[in-house]
Amino acid sequence: MSGVKLDRVVKTYGAVQVVHGIDLHIKPKEFVVLVGPSGCGKSTTLRMIAGLEEISGGTIAIDGRVVNRVAPKDRDVAMVFQNYALYPHLSVAENIAFGLRIRRTPREEIRRSVAEVAEILGLTQYLERRPADLSGGQRQRVAMGRAIVRHPKVFLFDEPLSNLDAKLRTQMRAEIRRLHNRLGVTSIYVTHDQVEAMTLADRIVVMNGGRIEQIGTPMELFTNPANLFVAGFIGSPPMNQLRGRVVRDADGPAVMIRDIRVRLPRDVSVEDSQEVLLGVRPEHVLLAARSNATPVPISLDLVEPLGSEALLHAEIHGQPFVIKAPTQGDVGRFSGLDMIHLPAEELKVFDAETGRSLITHQVSGG
Amino acid sequence: MRETQESTSLTTEELVIEARESLRDRIRRRAVWAGDHFRREWQLYVMLAPAIIWFVVFLYKPMYGLQIAFKDYSIFRGISGSPWVGLEHFQQLFTNDQFLRAIKNTLAISALNLLFGFPAPIILALLFNEILNRTYKRTCQTIVYLPHFISSVIIAGIVITAFSPSAGIVNTALRWLGMEPIYFLTRPEWFRPIFVGTGIWQEAGFGSIVFLAAIAGINPALYESAVVDGASRWQMMWKITLPSILPTILIMLIIRIGNIMEVSFELIILLYRPATYETADVVNTFVYRQGLQSGQYDLAAAAGLFNAVVAFVLVMLANTLSRRLSKTSLW
Amino acid sequence: MTQWNMYSRGDKIFAMTCAILVGMFTAATLYPFIYIAAVSFSSGFAATAGKVVLTPIDFTVEAYRFILGDPRFWNSYKNTFIYTIGGTAMSLVLIIPAAYALSRPQLVGRRFWNLFIAFTMWFNAGMIPFFLNMRDLGLLDSMFGIIIGFAVNAFNIILLRNFFESIPRSFEEAARMDGANEFQVLWKVFVPLAKPAIATITLFCIVSRWNGFFWAMVLLQSEEKIPLQVFLRHTIANLSDTEEFAMTALDASYSAETITAAIIVCSILPVLIVYPFIQRYFEKGILLGGVKE
Repeated sequence: MSGVKLDRVVKTYGAVQVVHGIDLHIKPKEFVVLVGPSGCGKSTTLRMIAGLEEISGGTIAIDGRVVNRVAPKDRDVAMVFQNYALYPHLSVAENIAFGLRIRRTPREEIRRSVAEVAEILGLTQYLERRPADLSGGQRQRVAMGRAIVRHPKVFLFDEPLSNLDAKLRTQMRAEIRRLHNRLGVTSIYVTHDQVEAMTLADRIVVMNGGRIEQIGTPMELFTNPANLFVAGFIGSPPMNQLRGRVVRDADGPAVMIRDIRVRLPRDVSVEDSQEVLLGVRPEHVLLAARSNATPVPISLDLVEPLGSEALLHAEIHGQPFVIKAPTQGDVGRFSGLDMIHLPAEELKVFDAETGRSLITHQVSGG
Repeated sequence: MRETQESTSLTTEELVIEARESLRDRIRRRAVWAGDHFRREWQLYVMLAPAIIWFVVFLYKPMYGLQIAFKDYSIFRGISGSPWVGLEHFQQLFTNDQFLRAIKNTLAISALNLLFGFPAPIILALLFNEILNRTYKRTCQTIVYLPHFISSVIIAGIVITAFSPSAGIVNTALRWLGMEPIYFLTRPEWFRPIFVGTGIWQEAGFGSIVFLAAIAGINPALYESAVVDGASRWQMMWKITLPSILPTILIMLIIRIGNIMEVSFELIILLYRPATYETADVVNTFVYRQGLQSGQYDLAAAAGLFNAVVAFVLVMLANTLSRRLSKTSLW
Repeated sequence: MTQWNMYSRGDKIFAMTCAILVGMFTAATLYPFIYIAAVSFSSGFAATAGKVVLTPIDFTVEAYRFILGDPRFWNSYKNTFIYTIGGTAMSLVLIIPAAYALSRPQLVGRRFWNLFIAFTMWFNAGMIPFFLNMRDLGLLDSMFGIIIGFAVNAFNIILLRNFFESIPRSFEEAARMDGANEFQVLWKVFVPLAKPAIATITLFCIVSRWNGFFWAMVLLQSEEKIPLQVFLRHTIANLSDTEEFAMTALDASYSAETITAAIIVCSILPVLIVYPFIQRYFEKGILLGGVKE
C-alpha cells in the first residue's frame, strides 16, 4: 500500500499564487480529508495529485515515485468527481468497465471485476440501466464503482456528496467510510463540510487561503485548535469568541471581559494585560454551578429548540454568545436563565492579534 | 530595507549577469514546459491540423489571389506574374453604369427585404404564440419551416411555373378577374416584389424559430401576474411578449443590417434575364457575369473585393454594436 | 384546454384571429407545392391552358414517364447522392476533431485559432479568387473538388465547439484518468454526448449538399458529373426558353410546365421523406448557433 507525499507544493495561475507551498505526508491506508472554505486551494491540491493540474513548484510523490511529470492515467490513482461524470450513453456496467476497456483488459476479466464491484456496492440489479434512470445515491455509487474497479493505489474524492440531499449525504458518508475500512486504500477526500471531514477522516487537513492551518485527527482539531480559524471552522455551531484582557495574580491566569473575571486553565502562556479571545464551545457551557467553573451573567434573547437539545442565543456584555444545552423535553426550563458557568479546563485562549492558540499543554484528543 | 541595500551594492555587471541568467532560466523553463505539453497533448494538434490546412488552402489562399484586383491578370502569366495596374479596375468600376446599377439594386433589394422580410417572422412568432391547440400549432410550424429546406433551383422552378404567362396560376387568376395576363418575369418593375415575396414565403417560417425560442424563455410569472391584473391577451402581447423579445429582435436586426451586401444571388441568377437586369442585377450577379461568364477575372475580382470590404466593415460594426447591446458577442 | 375556458370573449376572438392568420400563411406556404404536384399529373394541354388550380386535370403520368426515362436524370440523381454522402462524411471528419481541439482550454494559441477560423465568416475573398484557386488546384470538373472544396465552414465548427465547451470538463478528466487518450476521449465520450449538436451539423451539411447548385454549375463541365440541381436547372432553362415551341412540338399529353413540375416533385420527394425525422433537430440546432463566440 502506498502513501502520498507533498513537498512544498505550489500552484500559480499566471501571476496569482493559489497554493503556497504545502507539505503533507499521507500514510498508506490513511483516509485524509482536506477541508476549508471555497477558494482555499483544497480542490486545486487534489487535482494536482490527480495530475489534472500542473504542479508549479515542489514535488508530489505517490508510493515513493515523484509524479510531477507523470500523466494522470499513469499515476495509478482514481477519482470520484463532484458531478460524477457518468457517461449518459453507457449503462452502469459499461460505465464501471470504461477504464478497463480503455486499458484493453480481457473481456472475461472485465466481466468478473464489474460483477465484483457491483456486488460490493449493491448495484448488481442496476447494471443494465442508464445513469439517467438511477437515483442520486445510486449514481454516486456508480461513480465510486468506476474508481474501485481499477484497484488504484489512491482514491481521490472531489466533494462527492455535495450534490445529494442531506439525508442521503449522511447515509453515503457512512458507506464511503465502511468501504474504506473494507478496502483499505489510501484516500484523499476534499470537502467544505466540516461534519463530513470529522466523520470520515483519520486525519483532517484544514486549509485556508492556499495554506494548511492545521493537520490532525478529528478530535485533536476539535479539542486543540491551533488557531482561531480552525476553532471557528471545526465544530457546529462554531466556537464562541469573547474579547478580553489577561490578568495574572495569585489565583492564576484569568481573562477580564469588562467586569467579569473568567478563570483560565493553568497551562496557558499569556502575559499580563495581553489582548486575547476566549474560546468557548457552545456545548461546553454549564447551566449549573460547579467547582472550577466561572459563573457569568448573560442576557438570553432567543431559544431555538432542536429536539433533544436547544440553541440559546445570548449576549455577554454586548458580545454574541451561543449555548447548546439539553432540553430534557422542555424548553420552558430556559426561561429566566441569566447565569451560565464556564469550566476552566474546556476554555481556549487565542492571541487577539495573531489568532494563535495560547494553550501550552496539548491534551491528546480521542 | 536590508534587501534593497544589498541589491544596490551589486555592480551593474553583476546585475546584467543575473538578469541574463534569470532570462535563460525562464527560457529553459518554458522549453521544458512546451516539451512536456506537446508530449502530452500532441493529439489535439493532430486533430486541429486538417481543418486548419483546409482553411489555408480553400479560404486563405484565395485571399492571396485577391491581388488580381490590382493587376492586369492573364491566365497564362498567372497571379504573381501578371503586371500591377494599381486602382485601374476600381476606376473602371466606378465609371461603369452596370456596376453602379448593381450597387443600387443590392441596396434596394436589401432595403425591401429589411422592410418586409424582417418583420414577417416576428409577426408569425407572435401569432404562433397565441395558438392554444398544440397539434394545430405543431402542424402549421412543420409546414412553414419546410420551404427553407428547398433548393433555390426548385424555388425558381416553382416561381417560373406559377408566374408563367400562359399556364401559370397567377395569370389564370388575373384572367378570372378579367385582367390582361402579365409576363411577370420579363417586367423589371415586377422583379423585386416577386423576389422579396419569394424570400418571405421561403424564410419567414424558419426565421420565426429564433423568436419563438425567445418567447419560450419569458418567465411565465409575468403572464400570471398580468392575468391576475386582468390584462387581455392582446395587451399581454404588446406589454409583455414584445418587450421581452426586443433584445432578440434588435440583435437579429443588427445582423441583418450587417449582411446588407449579401443578397441571395443564387435565386437571382435563376430568375433574372437581360430584360430585368435593370432592377435585378446585384453586385454578386455582376461579378458572376463579368468574371465567370465573360472571363474578365481582374475586374470582377475588384468588384468582389469592394463588396467584401464593405460587408466586412458592416459586419464588424454590427458585431460591436450587438456586443455592446447584449454584452455577449455574436460569433 | 383549461386555459381556453378562462379566456374572456375578447381573448377568444383574438386567439381565433391569430389561428386563422397562421392558417392562411400555412396554406399560402403549402399551396405552391400542391399546385406543382397537380400540374405534374395534369395533361400538357390542360397545364398550358392554365386550367390547373388545385387538382390534376386530365390525370396522366406522361410527364413522369418522360423524365424518368431520361438516363441523365438518374445519373444526376446518383451524383447528388455521392456529393451528399461523401461531402457530409468529409465535413464531419474535418469538423468534429477540429471543434473538439478548439474547445479544450489546454490548446496553446486557442484564441488565435478561433479567430483564424471565425475571420472567414466575416471576410472572404469572393467568387473569382475562389474559382481561380480551385482551377489552380486542378479541381475544375472534379467530383472530389466539389466534395472537399465545400467541406468545412466556420459556422459549423463554432457551433460544435460551443457545444463541446458546454460539456463539463470532468467528463474529459474522468476519461483521462481512466487512461483514455484524446482520440478516445473524443470518440467514446464527447461524440456520444454531443449527439444533438452533431445531428444538427449533419443535417445542415446534408441540406446544403442536396441543394447545392451554384458552384456545381460553375465548376463542373462534364454532363456525367453534374448533380440533380444542375440538371434541373438545365432542363427548366431549356424548356422555358423554348416555351412557344414546346407547345406545338411536344405531344399534348405533356408540356414544358408538366415536365418541370414533375422534376421538381422528384427532387423534393427525398427531402419530404426525411423532413419529419430531422425537424426535431434543427429547431434545437439553429439555437445552438446563437451561442457566444
